[in-house]
Amino acid sequence: MTHRARTEAGQQAATEHPARFDMEIIVGYILLGGVLVSMTLVTAGLAWRWIATGQLGLDYSIGGMNLFEFVLTEVRQVAADAVRPRLLVNLGIAVLMLTPYARVLASMLYFAFVERNGKYTLFTGFVFSVLTYSLFLQ
Amino acid sequence: MPVSMPFEFLFLISVAAGFVGAMSGMGGGVVLIPALTFFGLDIKHAIAVSIVSVIATSSGSASAYVRDRITNLKVGMFLEMFTIVGALAGAAITLVSSHRPLFFAFGVVLLGSWAALFAARHQTWQPEKRQDAFSKWLELQGRYDDQATRETVEYRGVRAYLGGPLMFGAGLIAGLLGIGAGALKVLIHDLVMGLPPKVSTTTSNLIIGVTALAGTSVYLAAGMIDPGLVAPAMLGVLVGAFVGTRVLVRVSNEAVRRFFQVILAVLGVEMIVRGIRG
Repeated sequence: MTHRARTEAGQQAATEHPARFDMEIIVGYILLGGVLVSMTLVTAGLAWRWIATGQLGLDYSIGGMNLFEFVLTEVRQVAADAVRPRLLVNLGIAVLMLTPYARVLASMLYFAFVERNGKYTLFTGFVFSVLTYSLFLQ
Repeated sequence: MPVSMPFEFLFLISVAAGFVGAMSGMGGGVVLIPALTFFGLDIKHAIAVSIVSVIATSSGSASAYVRDRITNLKVGMFLEMFTIVGALAGAAITLVSSHRPLFFAFGVVLLGSWAALFAARHQTWQPEKRQDAFSKWLELQGRYDDQATRETVEYRGVRAYLGGPLMFGAGLIAGLLGIGAGALKVLIHDLVMGLPPKVSTTTSNLIIGVTALAGTSVYLAAGMIDPGLVAPAMLGVLVGAFVGTRVLVRVSNEAVRRFFQVILAVLGVEMIVRGIRG
Protein backbone atom coordinates (compact mmCIF):
# COMPACT_ATOMS: atom_id res chain seq x y z
CA MET A 1 0.00 0.00 0.00
CA THR A 2 1.36 3.44 -0.91
CA HIS A 3 1.93 6.20 1.62
CA ARG A 4 -0.97 8.19 0.18
CA ALA A 5 -3.30 5.22 0.41
CA ARG A 6 -2.23 4.67 4.01
CA THR A 7 -2.83 8.30 4.87
CA GLU A 8 -6.27 8.17 3.30
CA ALA A 9 -7.02 4.99 5.21
CA GLY A 10 -5.95 6.66 8.44
CA GLN A 11 -8.12 9.70 7.75
CA GLN A 12 -11.05 7.45 6.96
CA ALA A 13 -10.49 5.61 10.23
CA ALA A 14 -10.38 8.91 12.11
CA THR A 15 -13.65 9.98 10.50
CA GLU A 16 -15.32 6.65 11.24
CA HIS A 17 -14.09 6.58 14.84
CA PRO A 18 -13.44 10.20 15.88
CA ALA A 19 -13.17 9.31 19.59
CA ARG A 20 -10.90 6.28 19.22
CA PHE A 21 -7.64 8.18 19.55
CA ASP A 22 -8.57 9.67 22.91
CA MET A 23 -9.73 6.36 24.36
CA GLU A 24 -6.41 4.71 23.61
CA ILE A 25 -4.41 7.62 24.93
CA ILE A 26 -6.42 7.68 28.19
CA VAL A 27 -6.12 3.92 28.75
CA GLY A 28 -2.42 3.91 27.79
CA TYR A 29 -1.51 6.70 30.18
CA ILE A 30 -3.55 5.30 33.07
CA LEU A 31 -1.63 2.02 32.78
CA LEU A 32 1.75 3.72 32.37
CA GLY A 33 1.13 6.20 35.19
CA GLY A 34 -0.12 3.50 37.56
CA VAL A 35 2.90 1.27 37.04
CA LEU A 36 5.36 4.17 37.36
CA VAL A 37 3.78 5.53 40.56
CA SER A 38 3.58 2.04 42.04
CA MET A 39 7.21 1.19 41.27
CA THR A 40 8.38 4.57 42.57
CA LEU A 41 6.55 4.07 45.89
CA VAL A 42 7.85 0.52 46.35
CA THR A 43 11.42 1.51 45.44
CA ALA A 44 11.30 4.55 47.73
CA GLY A 45 9.97 2.45 50.61
CA LEU A 46 12.68 -0.18 50.17
CA ALA A 47 15.43 2.43 49.80
CA TRP A 48 14.22 4.21 52.95
CA ARG A 49 14.23 0.93 54.87
CA TRP A 50 17.74 0.13 53.65
CA ILE A 51 19.04 3.57 54.66
CA ALA A 52 17.33 3.39 58.06
CA THR A 53 18.10 -0.22 59.01
CA GLY A 54 20.71 -1.50 56.55
CA GLN A 55 18.24 -4.21 55.47
CA LEU A 56 16.01 -4.50 52.42
CA GLY A 57 13.73 -7.34 53.48
CA LEU A 58 10.26 -6.75 54.90
CA ASP A 59 8.81 -9.26 57.32
CA TYR A 60 5.05 -8.84 57.59
CA SER A 61 1.92 -9.90 55.77
CA ILE A 62 -1.35 -8.17 54.98
CA GLY A 63 -3.83 -9.92 57.23
CA GLY A 64 -6.82 -11.06 55.17
CA MET A 65 -8.42 -7.75 54.22
CA ASN A 66 -9.92 -6.59 50.95
CA LEU A 67 -8.34 -3.92 48.77
CA PHE A 68 -10.58 -1.10 49.96
CA GLU A 69 -9.87 -1.83 53.64
CA PHE A 70 -6.19 -2.07 52.75
CA VAL A 71 -6.22 1.32 50.97
CA LEU A 72 -8.25 2.91 53.77
CA THR A 73 -5.78 1.69 56.39
CA GLU A 74 -2.86 3.14 54.44
CA VAL A 75 -4.61 6.47 53.76
CA ARG A 76 -5.41 6.83 57.49
CA GLN A 77 -1.74 6.32 58.29
CA VAL A 78 -0.76 8.98 55.75
CA ALA A 79 -3.35 11.35 57.31
CA ALA A 80 -1.96 10.59 60.76
CA ASP A 81 1.51 11.51 59.51
CA ALA A 82 2.71 7.96 60.19
CA VAL A 83 4.69 7.70 56.97
CA ARG A 84 7.30 4.93 57.12
CA PRO A 85 8.96 2.54 54.63
CA ARG A 86 6.35 -0.16 55.04
CA LEU A 87 3.55 2.32 54.29
CA LEU A 88 5.19 3.35 51.00
CA VAL A 89 5.54 -0.29 49.92
CA ASN A 90 1.91 -0.99 50.81
CA LEU A 91 0.76 2.09 48.90
CA GLY A 92 2.81 0.93 45.91
CA ILE A 93 1.08 -2.46 45.94
CA ALA A 94 -2.33 -0.78 46.34
CA VAL A 95 -1.68 1.61 43.43
CA LEU A 96 -0.62 -1.32 41.25
CA MET A 97 -3.84 -3.18 42.05
CA LEU A 98 -5.94 -0.09 41.41
CA THR A 99 -4.32 0.52 37.99
CA PRO A 100 -6.31 -2.01 35.90
CA TYR A 101 -9.39 -1.16 37.98
CA ALA A 102 -9.03 2.53 37.09
CA ARG A 103 -8.50 1.57 33.46
CA VAL A 104 -11.81 -0.34 33.39
CA LEU A 105 -13.63 2.56 35.11
CA ALA A 106 -12.21 5.09 32.63
CA SER A 107 -13.20 2.85 29.69
CA MET A 108 -16.74 2.48 31.03
CA LEU A 109 -17.15 6.24 31.47
CA TYR A 110 -15.68 6.87 28.04
CA PHE A 111 -18.02 4.42 26.34
CA ALA A 112 -20.98 5.87 28.26
CA PHE A 113 -20.40 9.61 27.89
CA VAL A 114 -18.05 10.15 24.95
CA GLU A 115 -18.64 7.33 22.49
CA ARG A 116 -22.22 6.78 23.70
CA ASN A 117 -21.88 3.08 22.94
CA GLY A 118 -24.50 1.27 25.05
CA LYS A 119 -23.19 -2.20 24.27
CA TYR A 120 -19.65 -1.56 25.46
CA THR A 121 -20.85 0.55 28.39
CA LEU A 122 -22.73 -2.57 29.49
CA PHE A 123 -19.73 -4.87 28.91
CA THR A 124 -17.25 -2.65 30.77
CA GLY A 125 -19.91 -2.03 33.44
CA PHE A 126 -20.15 -5.78 33.99
CA VAL A 127 -16.35 -6.09 34.27
CA PHE A 128 -16.25 -3.14 36.66
CA SER A 129 -19.03 -4.61 38.83
CA VAL A 130 -17.39 -8.04 39.07
CA LEU A 131 -14.02 -6.48 39.89
CA THR A 132 -15.64 -4.25 42.55
CA TYR A 133 -17.31 -7.29 44.08
CA SER A 134 -14.05 -9.24 44.06
CA LEU A 135 -12.15 -6.36 45.65
CA PHE A 136 -14.72 -6.33 48.49
CA LEU A 137 -14.22 -10.07 49.16
CA GLN A 138 -13.53 -10.97 52.76
CA MET B 1 2.59 -15.64 59.51
CA PRO B 2 4.87 -14.13 56.85
CA VAL B 3 6.76 -16.56 54.64
CA SER B 4 10.38 -15.47 54.31
CA MET B 5 12.97 -15.61 51.55
CA PRO B 6 16.05 -13.33 51.37
CA PHE B 7 15.23 -10.12 49.49
CA GLU B 8 18.30 -10.15 47.23
CA PHE B 9 17.75 -13.80 46.33
CA LEU B 10 14.09 -13.29 45.49
CA PHE B 11 14.90 -10.15 43.50
CA LEU B 12 17.51 -11.97 41.39
CA ILE B 13 15.20 -14.94 40.73
CA SER B 14 12.50 -12.48 39.67
CA VAL B 15 14.86 -10.60 37.34
CA ALA B 16 15.78 -13.92 35.68
CA ALA B 17 12.09 -14.91 35.47
CA GLY B 18 11.13 -11.54 33.98
CA PHE B 19 13.97 -11.78 31.45
CA VAL B 20 13.08 -15.29 30.30
CA GLY B 21 9.37 -14.43 30.36
CA ALA B 22 9.87 -11.41 28.13
CA MET B 23 12.13 -13.33 25.74
CA SER B 24 9.58 -16.10 25.46
CA GLY B 25 6.55 -13.82 25.34
CA MET B 26 4.77 -15.68 28.14
CA GLY B 27 5.45 -13.32 31.04
CA GLY B 28 7.39 -13.90 34.24
CA GLY B 29 4.96 -16.15 36.12
CA VAL B 30 5.69 -19.24 34.04
CA VAL B 31 9.31 -19.18 35.21
CA LEU B 32 8.87 -17.44 38.58
CA ILE B 33 6.57 -20.04 40.15
CA PRO B 34 8.72 -23.11 39.33
CA ALA B 35 11.82 -21.20 40.48
CA LEU B 36 10.27 -20.05 43.77
CA THR B 37 8.93 -23.50 44.58
CA PHE B 38 12.26 -25.07 43.62
CA PHE B 39 13.93 -22.89 46.26
CA GLY B 40 11.46 -23.92 48.92
CA LEU B 41 8.54 -21.48 48.76
CA ASP B 42 5.09 -22.99 49.19
CA ILE B 43 3.34 -23.18 45.78
CA LYS B 44 0.25 -21.23 46.93
CA HIS B 45 2.39 -18.33 48.13
CA ALA B 46 4.44 -18.52 44.92
CA ILE B 47 1.18 -18.26 42.92
CA ALA B 48 0.03 -15.25 45.00
CA VAL B 49 3.40 -13.50 44.53
CA SER B 50 3.42 -14.22 40.82
CA ILE B 51 -0.09 -12.99 40.10
CA VAL B 52 0.71 -9.52 41.54
CA SER B 53 3.85 -9.29 39.40
CA VAL B 54 1.72 -10.26 36.38
CA ILE B 55 -0.36 -7.07 36.91
CA ALA B 56 2.86 -5.01 36.81
CA THR B 57 4.33 -6.55 33.65
CA SER B 58 1.01 -6.64 31.83
CA SER B 59 0.12 -3.02 32.63
CA GLY B 60 3.62 -1.81 31.74
CA SER B 61 3.72 -3.43 28.34
CA ALA B 62 0.02 -2.90 27.53
CA SER B 63 0.41 0.86 28.08
CA ALA B 64 2.81 1.11 25.12
CA TYR B 65 0.84 -1.20 22.83
CA VAL B 66 -2.44 0.62 23.51
CA ARG B 67 -0.91 4.01 22.74
CA ASP B 68 0.57 2.56 19.53
CA ARG B 69 -3.00 1.60 18.64
CA ILE B 70 -2.21 -2.04 17.90
CA THR B 71 -4.35 -3.38 20.75
CA ASN B 72 -8.01 -3.86 19.89
CA LEU B 73 -9.78 -2.41 22.94
CA LYS B 74 -13.22 -3.73 22.00
CA VAL B 75 -11.96 -7.29 21.58
CA GLY B 76 -10.18 -6.95 24.93
CA MET B 77 -13.18 -5.53 26.77
CA PHE B 78 -15.56 -8.14 25.41
CA LEU B 79 -13.26 -11.03 26.35
CA GLU B 80 -12.45 -9.64 29.82
CA MET B 81 -16.02 -10.42 30.85
CA PHE B 82 -15.16 -14.10 30.57
CA THR B 83 -11.58 -14.11 31.85
CA ILE B 84 -12.29 -12.29 35.14
CA VAL B 85 -15.05 -14.72 36.10
CA GLY B 86 -12.69 -17.59 35.23
CA ALA B 87 -9.87 -16.05 37.29
CA LEU B 88 -12.09 -15.68 40.37
CA ALA B 89 -13.13 -19.33 40.08
CA GLY B 90 -9.53 -20.45 39.49
CA ALA B 91 -8.12 -18.57 42.49
CA ALA B 92 -10.90 -19.92 44.72
CA ILE B 93 -10.04 -23.49 43.60
CA THR B 94 -6.35 -22.91 44.42
CA LEU B 95 -7.20 -21.84 47.97
CA VAL B 96 -8.98 -25.11 48.72
CA SER B 97 -6.73 -27.35 46.65
CA SER B 98 -3.83 -29.42 47.97
CA HIS B 99 -0.34 -28.83 46.56
CA ARG B 100 0.12 -31.87 44.34
CA PRO B 101 -2.71 -31.11 41.87
CA LEU B 102 -1.37 -27.57 41.49
CA PHE B 103 2.11 -28.80 40.54
CA PHE B 104 0.54 -31.28 38.17
CA ALA B 105 -1.81 -28.69 36.59
CA PHE B 106 1.08 -26.26 36.17
CA GLY B 107 3.16 -28.89 34.37
CA VAL B 108 0.27 -29.89 32.11
CA VAL B 109 -0.41 -26.25 31.17
CA LEU B 110 3.27 -25.68 30.33
CA LEU B 111 3.50 -28.84 28.22
CA GLY B 112 0.16 -28.01 26.58
CA SER B 113 1.48 -24.55 25.65
CA TRP B 114 4.63 -26.18 24.28
CA ALA B 115 2.60 -28.61 22.14
CA ALA B 116 0.30 -25.85 20.85
CA LEU B 117 3.22 -23.63 19.89
CA PHE B 118 4.98 -26.56 18.24
CA ALA B 119 1.88 -27.42 16.21
CA ALA B 120 1.34 -23.80 15.15
CA ARG B 121 5.00 -23.12 14.24
CA HIS B 122 4.46 -22.97 10.45
CA GLN B 123 1.14 -21.15 10.50
CA THR B 124 0.85 -17.76 8.87
CA TRP B 125 -2.02 -15.33 9.40
CA GLN B 126 -4.59 -14.83 6.67
CA PRO B 127 -7.33 -12.20 7.02
CA GLU B 128 -10.84 -13.58 7.46
CA LYS B 129 -12.98 -12.87 4.42
CA ARG B 130 -16.35 -13.04 6.19
CA GLN B 131 -17.40 -11.96 9.63
CA ASP B 132 -20.23 -13.71 11.47
CA ALA B 133 -23.22 -11.60 12.57
CA PHE B 134 -22.40 -11.75 16.30
CA SER B 135 -18.80 -10.61 15.84
CA LYS B 136 -19.99 -7.87 13.51
CA TRP B 137 -22.51 -6.74 16.13
CA LEU B 138 -19.64 -6.64 18.63
CA GLU B 139 -17.67 -4.37 16.23
CA LEU B 140 -14.63 -6.66 16.37
CA GLN B 141 -12.95 -5.34 13.24
CA GLY B 142 -10.02 -2.97 13.09
CA ARG B 143 -6.80 -1.88 11.44
CA TYR B 144 -3.34 -0.95 12.55
CA ASP B 145 -0.17 0.41 10.97
CA ASP B 146 2.51 -2.29 10.88
CA GLN B 147 5.83 -0.52 11.40
CA ALA B 148 7.84 -3.51 10.13
CA THR B 149 6.12 -3.74 6.73
CA ARG B 150 4.96 -0.10 6.62
CA GLU B 151 1.47 -1.21 5.69
CA THR B 152 -1.96 -0.79 7.19
CA VAL B 153 -3.29 -4.21 8.18
CA GLU B 154 -7.07 -4.57 8.17
CA TYR B 155 -8.74 -7.48 9.94
CA ARG B 156 -12.08 -8.83 11.11
CA GLY B 157 -12.46 -10.70 14.37
CA VAL B 158 -14.67 -13.80 13.98
CA ARG B 159 -16.29 -16.54 16.09
CA ALA B 160 -16.64 -14.38 19.20
CA TYR B 161 -19.34 -16.81 20.36
CA LEU B 162 -16.55 -19.41 20.74
CA GLY B 163 -13.74 -17.08 21.78
CA GLY B 164 -15.66 -15.77 24.81
CA PRO B 165 -16.36 -19.12 26.52
CA LEU B 166 -12.84 -20.35 25.71
CA MET B 167 -11.44 -17.26 27.39
CA PHE B 168 -13.26 -18.30 30.56
CA GLY B 169 -10.96 -21.34 30.53
CA ALA B 170 -7.88 -19.15 30.00
CA GLY B 171 -8.97 -16.96 32.93
CA LEU B 172 -9.52 -20.04 35.09
CA ILE B 173 -5.97 -21.22 34.42
CA ALA B 174 -4.60 -17.71 35.07
CA GLY B 175 -6.33 -17.46 38.45
CA LEU B 176 -5.58 -21.06 39.38
CA LEU B 177 -1.86 -20.93 38.63
CA GLY B 178 -1.01 -17.24 39.07
CA ILE B 179 0.19 -16.79 35.51
CA GLY B 180 -0.95 -14.54 32.66
CA ALA B 181 -1.90 -17.57 30.52
CA GLY B 182 -0.89 -15.36 27.59
CA ALA B 183 0.03 -18.27 25.32
CA LEU B 184 -3.47 -19.69 25.67
CA LYS B 185 -5.13 -16.32 25.12
CA VAL B 186 -3.01 -15.67 22.04
CA LEU B 187 -3.92 -19.09 20.65
CA ILE B 188 -7.63 -18.34 21.09
CA HIS B 189 -7.23 -14.95 19.40
CA ASP B 190 -5.17 -16.44 16.56
CA LEU B 191 -6.80 -19.75 15.83
CA VAL B 192 -10.43 -19.14 16.87
CA MET B 193 -10.99 -15.42 16.36
CA GLY B 194 -8.74 -14.88 13.34
CA LEU B 195 -6.86 -11.88 14.71
CA PRO B 196 -3.41 -10.95 13.34
CA PRO B 197 -0.49 -12.06 15.60
CA LYS B 198 0.41 -8.55 16.74
CA VAL B 199 -3.18 -7.72 17.65
CA SER B 200 -3.48 -11.10 19.43
CA THR B 201 -0.39 -10.56 21.55
CA THR B 202 -1.07 -6.94 22.47
CA THR B 203 -4.77 -7.49 23.21
CA SER B 204 -3.87 -10.52 25.33
CA ASN B 205 -1.50 -8.27 27.30
CA LEU B 206 -4.32 -5.84 28.05
CA ILE B 207 -6.66 -8.61 29.23
CA ILE B 208 -4.00 -10.24 31.43
CA GLY B 209 -3.81 -7.24 33.81
CA VAL B 210 -7.53 -7.21 34.64
CA THR B 211 -7.63 -11.02 34.86
CA ALA B 212 -4.69 -11.03 37.27
CA LEU B 213 -6.37 -8.34 39.39
CA ALA B 214 -9.46 -10.56 39.79
CA GLY B 215 -7.22 -13.44 40.93
CA THR B 216 -5.16 -11.18 43.21
CA SER B 217 -8.28 -9.96 45.02
CA VAL B 218 -9.02 -13.54 46.12
CA TYR B 219 -5.45 -14.09 47.35
CA LEU B 220 -5.49 -10.72 49.14
CA ALA B 221 -8.73 -11.58 50.94
CA ALA B 222 -7.18 -14.93 51.95
CA GLY B 223 -4.21 -13.09 53.54
CA MET B 224 -1.71 -14.54 51.07
CA ILE B 225 -0.30 -11.28 49.71
CA ASP B 226 2.94 -10.83 51.59
CA PRO B 227 4.64 -7.47 50.79
CA GLY B 228 8.03 -8.90 51.81
CA LEU B 229 7.74 -11.32 48.87
CA VAL B 230 5.63 -9.26 46.50
CA ALA B 231 7.80 -6.09 46.52
CA PRO B 232 11.09 -7.68 45.33
CA ALA B 233 9.22 -9.96 42.92
CA MET B 234 7.29 -7.17 41.17
CA LEU B 235 10.38 -4.97 40.91
CA GLY B 236 12.59 -7.85 39.75
CA VAL B 237 10.17 -9.16 37.13
CA LEU B 238 9.74 -5.64 35.71
CA VAL B 239 13.51 -5.08 35.51
CA GLY B 240 14.01 -8.50 33.89
CA ALA B 241 11.18 -7.90 31.42
CA PHE B 242 12.60 -4.47 30.53
CA VAL B 243 16.02 -5.97 29.73
CA GLY B 244 14.48 -9.01 28.02
CA THR B 245 12.42 -6.97 25.58
CA ARG B 246 15.55 -5.05 24.57
CA VAL B 247 17.55 -8.23 24.00
CA LEU B 248 14.63 -9.77 22.14
CA VAL B 249 14.83 -7.31 19.24
CA ARG B 250 18.51 -8.24 18.68
CA VAL B 251 18.06 -11.99 18.33
CA SER B 252 16.36 -13.98 15.58
CA ASN B 253 12.77 -15.21 15.90
CA GLU B 254 13.91 -18.78 15.35
CA ALA B 255 16.42 -18.61 18.22
CA VAL B 256 13.78 -17.17 20.55
CA ARG B 257 11.26 -19.83 19.57
CA ARG B 258 13.71 -22.67 20.19
CA PHE B 259 14.86 -21.20 23.49
CA PHE B 260 11.26 -20.78 24.61
CA GLN B 261 10.26 -24.32 23.65
CA VAL B 262 13.16 -25.81 25.61
CA ILE B 263 12.26 -23.73 28.69
CA LEU B 264 8.60 -24.73 28.51
CA ALA B 265 9.34 -28.42 28.09
CA VAL B 266 11.92 -28.55 30.92
CA LEU B 267 9.75 -26.63 33.39
CA GLY B 268 6.63 -28.59 32.42
CA VAL B 269 8.29 -31.97 33.00
CA GLU B 270 9.91 -30.75 36.22
CA MET B 271 6.58 -29.57 37.68
CA ILE B 272 4.78 -32.80 36.74
CA VAL B 273 7.55 -34.87 38.35
CA ARG B 274 7.24 -32.82 41.52
CA GLY B 275 3.46 -33.23 41.44
CA ILE B 276 3.83 -37.00 41.18
CA ARG B 277 6.50 -37.17 43.91
CA GLY B 278 4.48 -34.87 46.16
